[in-house]
Amino acid sequence: MTAALSDPGEPPRLRGDLAIWVFILAELLAFGVFFAAYAVTRAYNVEAFNTAQAGLDRNIGAINTLLLISGSWCVVRAVQAARADRQTPAMRWMGVALLCGLGFLVAKVFEYQAKFALGLTMDSDTFHMFYFSLTFFHFMHVVLGVCILAILLFKLGRGAYGSHDVHGLETGAAYWHMVDLAWIVLFPLVYVMR
Amino acid sequence: MKYTSQAVAKPYFIAAMGLFVAQVLFGLIMGLQYVIGDFLFPHIPFNVARMVHTNALIVWLLMGFMGSAYYLVPEEAETELHSPKLALILFWVFLIAAALTVIGYLAVPYATLARITGNDLLPTMGREFLEQPTITKIGIVIVALGFLYNISMTFLKGKKTAITSVLLLGLWGLAIFFLFSFYNPHNLVRDKFYWWWVVHLWVEGVWELILGALLAFVLIKVTGVDREVIEKWLYVIVTLALVTGMIGTGHHYFWIGAPEFWHWWGSIFSALEPVPFFAMTLFAFNMVNRRRREHPNRAATLWALGTGVMAFLGAGVWGFMHTLAPVNYYTHGTQITAAHGHMAFYGAYVMVVITMISYAMPLMRGRAANSNKAQVVEMWGFWLMTVSMVFITLFLTAAGILQVWLQRVSETPMSFMATQDQIALFYWMREVSGVIFLIGLVVYLISFFVKGEEQAA
Amino acid sequence: MTKLLNKRADRVWLLMLAATLATWALGEGGVAGTAAVLLMLALACLKGVLVILDFMELRHAPLLWRILLLGWLAIVTALIVLCYWIGTR
Repeated sequence: MTAALSDPGEPPRLRGDLAIWVFILAELLAFGVFFAAYAVTRAYNVEAFNTAQAGLDRNIGAINTLLLISGSWCVVRAVQAARADRQTPAMRWMGVALLCGLGFLVAKVFEYQAKFALGLTMDSDTFHMFYFSLTFFHFMHVVLGVCILAILLFKLGRGAYGSHDVHGLETGAAYWHMVDLAWIVLFPLVYVMR
Repeated sequence: MKYTSQAVAKPYFIAAMGLFVAQVLFGLIMGLQYVIGDFLFPHIPFNVARMVHTNALIVWLLMGFMGSAYYLVPEEAETELHSPKLALILFWVFLIAAALTVIGYLAVPYATLARITGNDLLPTMGREFLEQPTITKIGIVIVALGFLYNISMTFLKGKKTAITSVLLLGLWGLAIFFLFSFYNPHNLVRDKFYWWWVVHLWVEGVWELILGALLAFVLIKVTGVDREVIEKWLYVIVTLALVTGMIGTGHHYFWIGAPEFWHWWGSIFSALEPVPFFAMTLFAFNMVNRRRREHPNRAATLWALGTGVMAFLGAGVWGFMHTLAPVNYYTHGTQITAAHGHMAFYGAYVMVVITMISYAMPLMRGRAANSNKAQVVEMWGFWLMTVSMVFITLFLTAAGILQVWLQRVSETPMSFMATQDQIALFYWMREVSGVIFLIGLVVYLISFFVKGEEQAA
Repeated sequence: MTKLLNKRADRVWLLMLAATLATWALGEGGVAGTAAVLLMLALACLKGVLVILDFMELRHAPLLWRILLLGWLAIVTALIVLCYWIGTR
């Protein structure tokens, strides 16, 4: 992993709008507080948390992680293609990213359905309160992220992004990576670690 | 002032200031009743003084919002107001309804008022802050609908900016959430839900949109910073405010019989509610530092900066202090709540309305800014009111901490009234601060009449 | 230039896939305890750092933003470690 592969002459620059980065910080703060609340509560209910956690579907969790990571990678490739004015590949990458996001949502719905079928809800116990709260809070972010990707795809199709302007594209991409980042911590924390 | 119809804001602002004085006077009466229980008994009992104090605040803030919208929307839309005549008619309807309601509160016992206003037909009375007789509530809805019609038509025919869009969203939300006050389920838990959906979703939801839009408007005017920059901040702030504010409603579900997960959702999201206020403070100072012009109205700039700081302190910090469920378990409904309420309402909503008045009034009176002498007097008003409000808040906080300690934490808890006797000293100090606040308000009002060299508009 | 960058993004993606599968295998294997928790957190941190530096392109952003995002990851991880440590006592 070597660093500095970009143009060395280019000054440091934040990709995407400053406003989205302020927003991302606020979002990460919310996730961070939620994670901390989970971890602190678990520390005093280790047995109950471990038992309840064993019932989670780690397969779907892992598949969802793969989907989000791959989605993020596709978005990176889409941005790179757009910067090089290769519009068709950019759209293709963005389309696959969108499918990854939708796939995440579908998998999550199946996962929830299985939980509801067992009669588990937010009121079942503290672990499931956190499990549903955290994953649902994240789920809503994926929904928003998917909407953003759809808009980016639509605008790519209209030729809005290219070497002349990728500001909007980078802004939306940054948000999607944040959704990915939050899940990367969420998955081991809630599904696996014991 | 670019459009003559903007002038309809003037009577709204004047009436708002009149009601502000009434609000503060009744606040002082109540403050004294905390320590001299039978003061003015039986003419003005405590519950009546409290009703007038809170309702006058709400009504004058609504008047301030309406006046501000009547001033702001035509200027942003770059067109005359749809119907200035309707705006004036609605003003008088609103003012007379408000006056009659206050007279009703003062003249007859509350139960009698409920009977003669036909509360039995559609019971809506008796809930804190929403004590108004049903007919007054219906009047408020009619005024609000007429107002929204007028503003929306102006918006639709003119230029649509981010500021007017956010403002309209806030104003429509204000009207829509008020409708929950007409529904009074018998189940006490459900009743509380609907009540909070008015009270909380107003002050920690849609009102914040109004606040953000008004502040952004004044900052564009006094700093000359690019509209795009200010609008971007506005979008970030209102998004954060709406998300944290709406889910943060959960901090009212802690002890009313709602599911337990609200302890977590309410704590976490309301703990984040200071974030948009912090962003707002940064925003105000940032824009003023990057200003591209020296606007002659320095008083308006001062009010705008004050709004950012005091809203963050009052709504953000003082709200956070008792918003976590384990803390709120002890502090719920004590003087800590009163401390938060005072500084939050003053810092966020009172100050933003005055910011707007401070900016718009001179323009409506045909000058860019008041004379230097008048502005100095106005700034004295600012400091007197703001500093005394800080002290009111600090004394109430001290009273609240002592109250929690003696009444709830202690091994040998005292009764409510015995505790009240112990914290009387803080109530006295609060009352003195309140008198200084009134002096500040009078000084502020005097500044409207100070003459001197004026700059042309 | 673009090709090089792409290769890097691709490598990052593959590495993250591998890290995810490792976390999943640890979970399915029923591994628990301090070492497993630390290993999983290390894998999560690796993925997080890659997302922040490469996908969000903060490697080429002003230092402040790198500190903010990486700091978030560090604080969250540290808190989790602390809480799991408390839980084992």
